[in-house]
Amino acid sequence: MSDETKAAIRTFIVENFLFGDNSHPLPADLSLIDNDLVDSTGILELVGFLEERFGVQVADADIVPANLDTIERIAGFITRKQAA
Amino acid sequence: MSSVRSFEAGDVDAVADLFQRLLRKSAQPPSDDLKTYLRTLFIDFPAAEPDLRSRVHVRADGSVSGFLGVLPVEMEFEGRRLKAANCGTFACDDRDGDPFAGARLLRDVLSGPQDLSFTETSNDVSTDMWRTTRATVLGPYSLEWLRVIRPSAFALEAAAGRLSALRLLSPMTRPIDALFCRRGEKQSWSHYAPLAGKADAFVIDAVSDTEFAHLCRQFVRHFPLRPAWETPMLETMLGHATRKALHGERIQHAVKTRSGKAIGLYLYYGDPGGIGRTVQIMAEPGQEAIVIDCLIRNAHARGLVGIRGRTQPALLQAMIGKKCAFLHTSSTIVHSRNPALLEALTSGRAFLNGLAGEGWTRLIGDRFG
Repeated sequence: MSDETKAAIRTFIVENFLFGDNSHPLPADLSLIDNDLVDSTGILELVGFLEERFGVQVADADIVPANLDTIERIAGFITRKQAA
Repeated sequence: MSSVRSFEAGDVDAVADLFQRLLRKSAQPPSDDLKTYLRTLFIDFPAAEPDLRSRVHVRADGSVSGFLGVLPVEMEFEGRRLKAANCGTFACDDRDGDPFAGARLLRDVLSGPQDLSFTETSNDVSTDMWRTTRATVLGPYSLEWLRVIRPSAFALEAAAGRLSALRLLSPMTRPIDALFCRRGEKQSWSHYAPLAGKADAFVIDAVSDTEFAHLCRQFVRHFPLRPAWETPMLETMLGHATRKALHGERIQHAVKTRSGKAIGLYLYYGDPGGIGRTVQIMAEPGQEAIVIDCLIRNAHARGLVGIRGRTQPALLQAMIGKKCAFLHTSSTIVHSRNPALLEALTSGRAFLNGLAGEGWTRLIGDRFG
């Protein structure tokens, strides 16, 4: 998975869930759920972003923490989707 | 792995539990009455369609953690029949299990075969979720109108919603309200007194479900986007609406000329001393204001202290000058991929809310024994 993908995801999260606060460390393995950064509403925004930015189709069954809970998992999920 | 699938009879107990805990905010176990009703409404309902079903979110261990109730509605737009999904009852368990359950349920339902999806009872959290799916919040359909009739009794009744013992003070409100209404003012937002007007030329008539259904079909035809109601379906819905124990006695009237021609109708619930809840107002175009006058007069005559209901664009226009207050409690939201439908909805040419929503079900306003 590319650093560029992770950077784009990170930027989206900072802008939309941290309201532009770049001071948050936001490591790639930080759980977005456990840290209350994303909920059911936020996840729909994130999915919309992933579909538009990376040109992938996210199925309802894909919307699970295993795919979307950390920047690392999201980037891995995008890589798998693009390779499929 | 968690999943989303159609609501089945075996899920009724779990969904009733979600409804009781999350929507009714009750610690009591759900009654058999509620369970039976959920099955009647969401599985056995006459309009049920195999490809437009209510959905449940199921955890990896098979337990149900979310529910989105779907009531199929056949609608009509410019002579074409449409399928619509009325998505009112939306409940998801706490976020510890699967915080994405609500998102998956909503996406799953909105990706169905229907031309149009809508809800009229969306709270702020659900509204944010709908918005992220590119749904549209319809402002003119999302307001509650409120007409205060007896101000001090109204204030007491509103407060008694949280502390019922306050109703013991209600005798004290009568002289205060009598003073308000003796002041000889014209209509005011703070109190109501019936004045001579056009409504005097009309009579109100308690009507049967069959006549009411017939009139609903007559008045709804003026809307380019509307439910394609058949009389038996409307009678079934009115059967569901027979009782709303939490809202009071049902009042179902037609407004007629002295020669017997119906120009409108209303359906509301309310007891003397209480705040009435209006489910539906309909009228021939241009007659809305008279029907609203007749409704408020009836509520006043029956001793209600206030009456409220949901707006529609045509009613909003007619309420100008009626000294109503407007507030927001829940939103009407629509989702469609069809631009023509969205245009009809955003321009106020659609009939939504009330009987074209969830207002007729027992889930709103009834007690389950």
